[in-house]
Amino acid sequence: MQKTKVLNLLIPTLSVLLAFLIGMIIILCLGSNPFQAIGYLVKGAFGSATNFGNTVVRAMPLLFTGLCTCFAYRCGVFNLGGEGQFLSGAMAAITVSLLIGSEGWWVTILAMLAGTVMGGLWGLLPGLLKTWRGLNEMITTIMFNYVAALFMGYLYTTALREGSVPQTAPVPDMTKIGRVFPDLRITWGIAVALVLGVAVWYFLFNTSKGFQLRAVGFNQTASSYNGLSVKRYMLAAFVVSGAIAGLGGACDILGTQFRLISGYGGGYGFDGVAIALIAQLHPIATMIVAYFFAVLRVGSTTMQVGTGVPTSVIDIIQALVIIFAVAGSSMQYLPKFRAFMLNLFEKKEAVSE
Amino acid sequence: MNWIAVSDLLISAVRMATPLLFVALAELYSERAGLVNIGLDGLMSFGALVGFLACYWTGNPFLGVLCGALGGVLVNMIYAFCTVTLAGQQIVYGMAINIFAPALASFIYRVVFGVSSTLAQATLMKTVAIPGLKDIPFLGKLLFDQTPMVYAVYLLVVVTAVYFNRTKSGLNYKAVGEYPKAAETMGINVIRHKYFASVICGFLAGMGGAYLTTCYVNTYSDGIVAGRGFIALAAVIFGRWSGSGVLMACLLFGFFDALQLRLQIGTDLIPYQLFQMIPYVMTLIALTLFGSRIAGPKAKGKPYYREER
Amino acid sequence: MKKALALLLALCLALVALSACAKGPEAPGEKTYRVAMICDSSISDGGWGAACYNGMVAAAEKRGWETAYTDSIDQSAYADTMISYCDLGYDLIFAPGNQYSDAVKQVAADYPDVCFAVLNGATSLPTENIMSMLPNADQIGSIAGIIAGLMSKSNVIGFIGGMELDTTKSKLAHFESAAQVINPAIKAVSAYAGSFNDTAKGMELAASMINEGADVFFGDASAVDSGARQAIDQANGDTVRIIDIGQPADLLGQNPCVACSVVTDNAAMLAICLEKCETGTFGNEVVFGSLENNCVYLGKFNDALIDADTQAKILDYVKQLQEGTFSK
Repeated sequence: MQKTKVLNLLIPTLSVLLAFLIGMIIILCLGSNPFQAIGYLVKGAFGSATNFGNTVVRAMPLLFTGLCTCFAYRCGVFNLGGEGQFLSGAMAAITVSLLIGSEGWWVTILAMLAGTVMGGLWGLLPGLLKTWRGLNEMITTIMFNYVAALFMGYLYTTALREGSVPQTAPVPDMTKIGRVFPDLRITWGIAVALVLGVAVWYFLFNTSKGFQLRAVGFNQTASSYNGLSVKRYMLAAFVVSGAIAGLGGACDILGTQFRLISGYGGGYGFDGVAIALIAQLHPIATMIVAYFFAVLRVGSTTMQVGTGVPTSVIDIIQALVIIFAVAGSSMQYLPKFRAFMLNLFEKKEAVSE
Repeated sequence: MNWIAVSDLLISAVRMATPLLFVALAELYSERAGLVNIGLDGLMSFGALVGFLACYWTGNPFLGVLCGALGGVLVNMIYAFCTVTLAGQQIVYGMAINIFAPALASFIYRVVFGVSSTLAQATLMKTVAIPGLKDIPFLGKLLFDQTPMVYAVYLLVVVTAVYFNRTKSGLNYKAVGEYPKAAETMGINVIRHKYFASVICGFLAGMGGAYLTTCYVNTYSDGIVAGRGFIALAAVIFGRWSGSGVLMACLLFGFFDALQLRLQIGTDLIPYQLFQMIPYVMTLIALTLFGSRIAGPKAKGKPYYREER
Repeated sequence: MKKALALLLALCLALVALSACAKGPEAPGEKTYRVAMICDSSISDGGWGAACYNGMVAAAEKRGWETAYTDSIDQSAYADTMISYCDLGYDLIFAPGNQYSDAVKQVAADYPDVCFAVLNGATSLPTENIMSMLPNADQIGSIAGIIAGLMSKSNVIGFIGGMELDTTKSKLAHFESAAQVINPAIKAVSAYAGSFNDTAKGMELAASMINEGADVFFGDASAVDSGARQAIDQANGDTVRIIDIGQPADLLGQNPCVACSVVTDNAAMLAICLEKCETGTFGNEVVFGSLENNCVYLGKFNDALIDADTQAKILDYVKQLQEGTFSK
């Protein structure tokens, strides 16, 4: 058991390092110093308090979408709709905060609630289609993502547009989520995310309901023989995971972004899926991996700026990291590979002990 | 709307449906072997670039299309290796391809052409009218005065329909996507079929991308694919995983896109986003109405472990 | 087992150590100013991104600055990218579009010593270290409208926009109204592609406008416009009947249908910002680009498409426009 855990940790780490190695070779081929590039990456992420703050700011939405995927997948629900649920949460939150005609902390709470509910509803739809009509949620959630993204386009270009440019008005000052430290862009939203992450972990691993939810995810047939209502659990997983993403959208729009604008929220949902899978669907690990992703994003921006390599190269490296890291974690489920690795370690340990 | 406008609308619908059709067929072949590939946008981007470059350098659009198709195959092999051999999450790799391939394409374009205030232009494939048939009023221009690629794709629809419904090989192919374990016991090599499917998928998706830059417009720019891969994905589902269904779906989505563009001219009352939702909303509605009867290949999206238990 | 972990740790340490060594100090010497541009589209898009990048390079050359750029970035990375440039000691950040305003405001507040120049920024945007550069969209639209008014034979003129930006809307409004001053019978057809890079959509839009009878085109949609020009060329065949007016660079010669261009000289406006940054007078100001200060001007004529007589008329009207006597 212990060995498996170490393997779970070791393989993704090694795969990420391998991806970086390739990335550094690419950078070397482009005539830049790869070590200097890594230096820029580290500096960009941890060089100053501001830099560190930015990594936390970037991590916040990823924490939510990562947890969203984590929760759903644990119940065997392949919710790829984190993006749409995140956006619908953000849309609900900004609509409430702009149209209520007042501002203050109670509007913030209300907007966050609206975001959570809307995210949950946006999760409920594919959930109903799954349980009621038996439709594959991977496909329906992708469709719902597009509908949400296009609807957001309608909001910022037409319905909630503020005057000249295609964007909505910003969230009123008093409704914004406050900063934890006045000088850093970190908001209390991160606290919400952390508490939520621990709550998800506690629920999944320390409550009987959580155990049953995981049981459904592990084996639906066995669960239904044991008298669990599989459909009800799955529906709940859809709604809760949607609500998590929706709350994330609300926290992001009220704390960091303040308004809907073209290109908002793109990629958060997918990042969440990749993050949760790399973290082997463990909520606490999901939060750690989400932070790592944010470090990678912020740091690689500085790396691009410092080395002057085209942005596309940075995108290529980031894609490689995902490809390798997920390959690493999925490789462990290959029966052959698993046997080989365990075998290898057993031999080694036999020698060293 | 007068007669000419209607005919123009239909021609435009056919034109806009063609790249969709290539890519939707690519996805059809992939999903029939149990591989949901949402990396179509990425495959198209890379195909579009490679096709454009080959066409730009050689001046031969046909060579461009071929190279674009091979480019698509090349990129899709990453997907195939990770999802088939390593049994990784298909969705994640599809999305990874969507980040990776356009970035690679953009990088190569930058290396080749640098930064200039105008886009490089290549030769465009000429339309080949079919003598006699093209003079049929209304239908002639619509159906028989197109580039060879358009004829090719419609031929491909027919071939696909026949292959999956009438040939033994096609039935074996479908079995891989429905009941891989049963197929394996019947002596069908599931892994090889999945790789074969990925080759076809990459080939056709790359072709669809190359169609954009060698038959449609004569330039390459980042983002030229503009989400067509996802519309194609919707078209496969809306077309219920059959050749003819996919054809109808692509024509329908192409029609709405063409209509949307025309309705905008003169009136700015209709938000174009609502029109762009049509493919997705219609697919969702169709899925809801028909339910799991059109759920598609049963083993799609699931990793396949050969030695499993 | 432990060995593997130790190896991993050693590898990480080695990487960090090596990267730390590699960070050499900047070479001392005379101060070279540096400008960096961020852009959400690609700078090789043959349209807006390319025009802005070339503008920056030209302005920087004129004043002896070094340049850097980051293109094709997501909306979520605007602020991070600018912060990175600030941390690396860049003197001025060039943000070519109003969509960067929010991020610029946030970052500018944290880095009071860095100058920020926003192209098409709002007049309310400038602060101590932010300046806006605002090409006169009304004039750009009007100039194109003058050409269209004189050149259109079908009395239908076409306009293709990318997004419904304020500047795009006023270009369209003045394109139509200026054309109508010259020829009251003219009507404009217009549409938005909803994108700046969907070339195919530009083609379809132009093709259907041609069906509506449009014979003079103007656009504000970057790569989408090149699709439109291609459709026009195709419709023209060997003899050019339908013409296109290019912008924001001088596009004469790119396509046979380009009759003239309305050029926006971003470089000149940016050069003003760079100069102010050097002299320490930067901030609290909007640099307007217009006919008056030569930041907006009429490009070269395509002599094959516009005869000398019409050229003279166009120049005359543009002069009236500059003097404010061109009635609307």
